[in-house]
Amino acid sequence: MEPAVVSAEPLRLMEERLRTLNRVLTTKAPIAQTPKELVWSLNKSKLYRYVPTAPEHERYRIPLLLVFAIMNRPSILDLRPGHSFVEFMLGRGYDVYLLDWGAPGLEDREMKLDDYALEYLPRAVHRVKAISGTEEFSMLGWCIGAILTTIYAAMRPDEGLRNLLLLTAPLDFSNRNGLTFARWVDEKYFNLDLVLETFGNMPGEMIDYGAKALKPVENYISNYCKLWDNLDDPRVVESWHAMNTWVTDNIPMAGAAYRQLIVELYRNNRLMKNELVVRGDRVDLSRIRANLLTVIAAGDHITPPCQSEAILSKVSSRDTELFRIPGGHIGIMAGSGARQTTWPHIDGWLSARSR
Amino acid sequence: MSGDQESNSKPADPFESFRAIRDAYLDAMAKTMVEAVNTEAYAQASGAMLEGTLTAVTPFREAMEKSVTKALEQLSLPSRQELAILAERFTHVEMRLDDMDMKLDRIEKILSRARSAPGPAEKDASQTSVSQQAARPTGVKAPATANRTTARRRFVPAKKTKAMGK
Repeated sequence: MEPAVVSAEPLRLMEERLRTLNRVLTTKAPIAQTPKELVWSLNKSKLYRYVPTAPEHERYRIPLLLVFAIMNRPSILDLRPGHSFVEFMLGRGYDVYLLDWGAPGLEDREMKLDDYALEYLPRAVHRVKAISGTEEFSMLGWCIGAILTTIYAAMRPDEGLRNLLLLTAPLDFSNRNGLTFARWVDEKYFNLDLVLETFGNMPGEMIDYGAKALKPVENYISNYCKLWDNLDDPRVVESWHAMNTWVTDNIPMAGAAYRQLIVELYRNNRLMKNELVVRGDRVDLSRIRANLLTVIAAGDHITPPCQSEAILSKVSSRDTELFRIPGGHIGIMAGSGARQTTWPHIDGWLSARSR
Repeated sequence: MSGDQESNSKPADPFESFRAIRDAYLDAMAKTMVEAVNTEAYAQASGAMLEGTLTAVTPFREAMEKSVTKALEQLSLPSRQELAILAERFTHVEMRLDDMDMKLDRIEKILSRARSAPGPAEKDASQTSVSQQAARPTGVKAPATANRTTARRRFVPAKKTKAMGK
């Protein structure tokens, strides 16, 4: 009887997989790699200008300013080389600027949406215009960044905003049954005063928990199963690693801004009713005249489509478009299909309006 | 034979045999959980839990804060609140500087326009001096603006994050 041959190969591969798993779960991936210059800063906010890659004669005249949410890092817009929205837009000839709000400290707990939209954003816009030497500009707001850009566009309609792009914009809070967040933060259950009194700012970990708890099984179990199943595929592993690096880099949200988000928007839907007051003035959405593109993620559980649709009927813009795309809140811009779907559509829309 | 080779090269995955069962279970579980978290009962329970925890922790937190503040005071060191106030004042100063910067930009723009298009009255009087100043066309940044902007810019190289495990 011949002795059984035991191959060491499966054990070696298993060891390799465990090593990969350990690396991915315990280290940070290199993200936000596109070269950029710091051109302005105020408090924690920083304005970057990405180093243009297209030849000067092929570049668009109108610069593009990217504004992301205030409770996440904007590095999702420049996730990793070869899969970066910023890199894509630079290659298409745009002069791209990014406003990074930074992480608020205890001293920023009184910062409101008013301050972000009407104190910091106009200053950054001023700098963008001064550097690019043009009076007009385009602005892309994503998630809470879309709330801020909408407020800015309504309050400063004469400051040269030509094109406004809103991605998964949580603007309409009227459909309370369709919004799980609205239910959680209802005044009957959620003691907002106690939370802000305890922490000053809304801790990033709590915001992260809130976002993940909307789909607990997917976020806490299936996500890791997907990684385990694909440990032999370097493309999936690197993509997962980059996304996990961004997802786990949480920052707090300024206390007063969080209070406004909950009380003024989630509980009372004041922005869509034209009742929101910032710096003593009412935000009237009909004052928005810029060309408007609203991008909606059909499978978005954080900002369901119903939150982003109504804005089109409220603005005075003559040139409006609603682009609905399959995918989730982050996936439509950072998922593997974004390069073939969302990014080219944004480029196509913007290119015709950036000359 | 090639099939044998393929199966040998595959890593031993203890979950392989019940992956389909696992996925089906997770799908069903996911749907149930999404429905569960979207109920009034969950909102009520999570709200009550958060409030209970924070209420229980508050006396300890306050006592800790008081003792730390007292200790820092004894050591002549600033408290967290005092540092926050200081940081706020820095931000105000920064904002005032930014205001001045914006005003300077506007003044330079006006001057630049005035130089490139002199009025008829001053045209004769200042013809020599204007031509000496080599007027710039409208929209071109004044040297001082360019200098200030350049001075403020800092090149941020691509972030070098340590790639571990290689």
